[in-house]
Amino acid sequence: MPPKAPTRPATRSPITSLLKAYSEQTPDRLKFIDAFLVFLMLSGVAQFLYCILVTNYPFNAFLAGFSSNVGQFVLTASLRSQVNPQNRTEFKDVSPERAFADFALGSIVLHFFVFNFLG
Amino acid sequence: MSTAYALPKDLSRATVVNTASLIRIVALSLISGAAIASRLFAVINFESIIHEFDPWFNYRATRVLASKGFYEFWNWFDPTAWYPLGRVVGGTIYPGLMATSGVIYNVLHYFNLPVDIRNICVLLAPGFSALTAWATYMFTKELKDESAGLLAAAFIGIVPGYISRSVAGSYDNEAIAIFLLMFTFYLWIKALKAGSAFFGTCAAVFYFYMVAAWGGYAFITNMIPVHAMVLILMGRYSSRLYVAYSSWYAVGTLSSMQVPFVGFQPVRTSEHMAALGVFGLLQIIAFAQLVRSHVSSKQFNNLLFYGVIVLGVGGVGAVVGLTYAGWIAPWTGRFYSLWDTGYAKKYIPIIASVSEHQPTAWPSFFMDLQLLVFLFPAGVVLCFKELRDEHVFVIIYAIVASYFAGVMVRLMLTLTPCVCVASAIALSTLMDTYIDPVQPEADEDETAQSDAGDSVSGSSATGSISGAAPKKAKKLAAAAVAAPPSANPLAELVGAATGGPRMKKGVWGFDTRFTVLLHTFGMLAFFVMHCTYVTSSAYSSPSVVLASTSPDGSPHIIDDFREAYYWLRQNTKEDAVVMSWWDYGYQIAGMADRPTLVDNNTWNNTHIATVGKAMSSSEEVAYPILRAHDVDYVLVIFGGLLGYSGDDINKFLWMIRIAQGVWPEEVQEANYFTPGGEYRVDERASKIMKESLMYKMSYYRFTELYGANPAQDRVRQQTIPKPSPTLDYLDEAFTSENWIVRIYQVKKEDHLGRDIKSANAFEGGKKRKRGRPAVGRRRAMQ
Amino acid sequence: MRSFSLLTALVLGLSAFVRAKSSQGDDVLVILDPKLNRDDYSLFFGGLEKDGYSLTFRAPKDVKPKIIKDDVPSFSHVILFTPETKGYASDITPQSLIHLLSLSTNLLITSSPKQTLLTALSSEFSLIPAPPSSPLLSHFPARSDPPTLLPIPVPDPIDPKSEYADHPLAIPPICSPHTKAVWYEGTAWALGNNPLLFPILRAPKESFVSDASGDEGAEGVVDAAEKGGEGLWAGSSLAVAAGFQTREGARVVWVGGVEVFSDRLAAKEIAPGVPSGNTRFTRDIAAWAFQESLVLRISHISHHLASSPPLVGSNTTNLPTQYTTNDKLTYTAHISIYNPSSSTWTPHVSLPSPQMAFTMLDPHILTTLSHSPSHAGTYTTTFRAPDRHGVFKFVLDYRRKGWTWLKSEEKVAVVPPRHDGYPRFLSAAWPYYAGAVSTSVGFVLFVVVWLSGEGRETRKKAE
Repeated sequence: MPPKAPTRPATRSPITSLLKAYSEQTPDRLKFIDAFLVFLMLSGVAQFLYCILVTNYPFNAFLAGFSSNVGQFVLTASLRSQVNPQNRTEFKDVSPERAFADFALGSIVLHFFVFNFLG
Repeated sequence: MSTAYALPKDLSRATVVNTASLIRIVALSLISGAAIASRLFAVINFESIIHEFDPWFNYRATRVLASKGFYEFWNWFDPTAWYPLGRVVGGTIYPGLMATSGVIYNVLHYFNLPVDIRNICVLLAPGFSALTAWATYMFTKELKDESAGLLAAAFIGIVPGYISRSVAGSYDNEAIAIFLLMFTFYLWIKALKAGSAFFGTCAAVFYFYMVAAWGGYAFITNMIPVHAMVLILMGRYSSRLYVAYSSWYAVGTLSSMQVPFVGFQPVRTSEHMAALGVFGLLQIIAFAQLVRSHVSSKQFNNLLFYGVIVLGVGGVGAVVGLTYAGWIAPWTGRFYSLWDTGYAKKYIPIIASVSEHQPTAWPSFFMDLQLLVFLFPAGVVLCFKELRDEHVFVIIYAIVASYFAGVMVRLMLTLTPCVCVASAIALSTLMDTYIDPVQPEADEDETAQSDAGDSVSGSSATGSISGAAPKKAKKLAAAAVAAPPSANPLAELVGAATGGPRMKKGVWGFDTRFTVLLHTFGMLAFFVMHCTYVTSSAYSSPSVVLASTSPDGSPHIIDDFREAYYWLRQNTKEDAVVMSWWDYGYQIAGMADRPTLVDNNTWNNTHIATVGKAMSSSEEVAYPILRAHDVDYVLVIFGGLLGYSGDDINKFLWMIRIAQGVWPEEVQEANYFTPGGEYRVDERASKIMKESLMYKMSYYRFTELYGANPAQDRVRQQTIPKPSPTLDYLDEAFTSENWIVRIYQVKKEDHLGRDIKSANAFEGGKKRKRGRPAVGRRRAMQ
Repeated sequence: MRSFSLLTALVLGLSAFVRAKSSQGDDVLVILDPKLNRDDYSLFFGGLEKDGYSLTFRAPKDVKPKIIKDDVPSFSHVILFTPETKGYASDITPQSLIHLLSLSTNLLITSSPKQTLLTALSSEFSLIPAPPSSPLLSHFPARSDPPTLLPIPVPDPIDPKSEYADHPLAIPPICSPHTKAVWYEGTAWALGNNPLLFPILRAPKESFVSDASGDEGAEGVVDAAEKGGEGLWAGSSLAVAAGFQTREGARVVWVGGVEVFSDRLAAKEIAPGVPSGNTRFTRDIAAWAFQESLVLRISHISHHLASSPPLVGSNTTNLPTQYTTNDKLTYTAHISIYNPSSSTWTPHVSLPSPQMAFTMLDPHILTTLSHSPSHAGTYTTTFRAPDRHGVFKFVLDYRRKGWTWLKSEEKVAVVPPRHDGYPRFLSAAWPYYAGAVSTSVGFVLFVVVWLSGEGRETRKKAE
């Protein structure tokens, strides 16, 4: 599931500060990744709604389409956390290049299964 | 610095490292050789033959796969199984095993090595046991070091608990599944350690292989989420966990759904919900972490914390709600029987009737694990001592698998690798301590002490990092263990790596070391002897062929099963339907190549109950059932002559129970006991028991064998009453040499339309009572 | 003379004018009691010989020729003219006679009021023999003959096309139409409840069975029925000639007296100037017993997908062994009838409502086959296979009394669709396809952008 924005009785200031902090602290690269993430999330939500509101038949196609979104999302999110300079200490064995290679490999495997499952 | 024994001093570091790795490779290959060799007892004692029951089906399926190709295999509908329902084989099996053999077969044939598919099947399990040893080595290496890995590999190679499922000829899913289990776990640990999506994806791919190979994949499906969950609860969430788990789950779940038998289960059944829940939770936590990294407000964090809890509770609620709404299938009976050992007996006799599903007896732990039973807890305790993420995994694995192994005999198999790993850690620590040539000197090597202390008391944040720090030292330490003659500078490093506290209260002198090590090696030697003995005597019997020793000590082979199956194959019509209890279904299909009513794939309880009812009813009741199912032959296993205790009379109560589950009015278990509540077959047996088809078929003409002497059933130690039962609706067609297999032919309806009993009476020359016109007077007068 | 239509050919083919051989074989063994004179039955035997049968005579006590040799029957048909014989050679026992039937030899058995081995045998056929020494009597119509010699009218067969043809009580068309009444002397049976048994000639309504030869016995019969629980040995529920067809198709005719075959009764007039029907009747029942009349067979069965009819000329050897659930199937049975006049099998066009069941444990489909006018003798139906996989059987099970029992079971597996046999690329799933494809495209774009970004970065660094 793509994370939903936590809905809580927040005042205006935390959100704005959050957005502000985000736009200030985040490198462009990560912003680009985030854009991709948002796209995936929207696509996933759309499919989920279509499944619930219209039809879940054929179920395998829904699962394939939806999990391709989810899978791509988490792989991209993984990439994001791996290339995030803040997390350098955690990923000593994983250089950004290595992370990207991992990401590409994982995605290719994922898409292989997606298209196998789709039809 | 003093040493307990002299060390060669003129060795360069490179020499030591090279020698160590050479010795490691040699040791691993020797372990592989030992693992394979000890599994060949079955082939040497008997022959290259497929064992037991399920392997016969796997073998048959593999032959189809090898001869017709994968797509035909996938779409294989077997009309001869579960006659007349048939079985959609392609959609109801885990094809991993057959696919593996098929690939090996095709590769060998591509290289013009004309190996018979049967030999591939027979030798697949020993081959994979070598791979298991390697995977265990890799896994343990991640936990401790290479030396522990080698020990673990040696243990798993010869431990009877694993051999019992992987001797040559035991061509079953477990044969490859344990390798996949260990390797998936290894990849998971690796992915978690490095935070690598690559290893996560690899773990997912092997998970896919595992799903395709064994129904026990649910163990992985739940172990990894539980591990992740425990780490989260311990406050050890990290991005590495997120990366490893997410990549594993996303790819693994999608891939597991490609297996037709699994289908949509990963999103539909409760067994898989834990994995999904943890996945969702990780997303939420990751998001929260992201937000927190940008904002640092205490109140905000609190809100976030509660938000997470609310979402978590909501998620669980949603799962429960969906379960009630029927969207998610509730837990299956087999799953319940894991929690309540009495459940199966009460509700699903068919599960309880399988001996593999009985709770484990204590002696079998010792028999299967021997020495490792005692080392195992020590190893788990040592895991607590370090308690990095991967140690948490082993601890959880140990707890869960121990419980399951206690509940069900067959789950001993999943416990065994964990026991081997933990024991290897314990034993390796012991040997490190006692082989280490460094004498303790209280005031030496402060740095080492602090370093090691760090790793023990390491906080959640730094624990795993400190584990990585002495990596190089560790490698060398392992080298030192593997190659005892090491140089002085190395000895220092040994001390540094294997723990500072020992420096204060350590081992002095050579005698202590020698004594302890001598004992250890003695125990290991006994372990090897035990394993060899158990393997050769208990676990190598194909159970298709039985062995006994004649009074003069020479071995005697009892080959009744194959004798009977080949009789069927050669003397009956190709579409003659054979009814037997389901245990023998796969064997009949595999060896006799005849349609069967029920087999070891016990998917249709009603059909099995029908067979149970036919077996437990009188001839008159059974006959219409037999005719309706086009049964031509009935096969029973009878051990009374030889003393073969696994026969059908001993399984008979389960047939009755299963039949009673479906027809409680017609079959009642109590009727088959004597008034005193005993299960007997002698003259005190109840009338219903004596009239049941099973009793009659087992003891038909049995007393004739003894002439005037009392006929003694050597399994039940009871005397069979004379005269022997008579059969009207069946003809004895075949009885094997030792009477183990008896085959009866079902008579056709009488061609004059009489009931068969009176037809038989006529054949016997009995006169019929004179009849009268049935018509009434009025009609006659018309 | 038989060229009007196939139907008349059928009916008249049964008549006794010109006979050809049986559909099974021409060797007939006649076991003739020594007390009976062969010449007294010359009309019957002569008629058989004229039609091409070769008769072998043997006394019951003779050792040769054996009726079964090495479990192979020596003759195609056996006639037992041994109504009162007590002793037989060792090869003739009730058991061996029944064994003979299972080897598909046909029997024509004559009995008598005396209790013999055959009396015991008859009860195996669900015939209920009358009390010993009690012949069938009738005082009607008034005549000079003794009451034990009585005329019995022969019923006309029902047109097989009529709605009564399928009635369970209908008498099968064994006897030729318009056969005159026959003179009869002998015993009668009550018939047990066995579907394989049916009466060929019923006793007259006014007749009864009694051990007394006079009138006074009639009251005794009723008394015995009402008080002694003996059952009523009277009326048309009794049969003097009964036919029995085993499950394998062997035929047995039981006749209660041997005299009905005799030249004496054949010559006796039934009415002034009208000869009795004995000659024709006995020849008719022999024709039925020896598989000349009412003999059907299934020439072959075929089934195929309705959408792909088999090539013309393809035979039955390569029928499909499996179908997919919900397939449309066509089942065809070719049924022939034996034409004794020409010794050939001809297509049978007037089989009333044969049914075919598509069965797995229970019939899933039960449908009537219809005759296809373009192919004579071809009965066909098209139906949709059930949505259920398993081993099904096409069961054609056609049983009519007197007619050959047609039975055919063809096993066929009905399998679920292949993995690629399901509909694919449904319109409802387009959003999902779009989602998956967009994700893949997005991934590719992402990679491209990322890599170019990488390149720029390194260039920046290089600069």
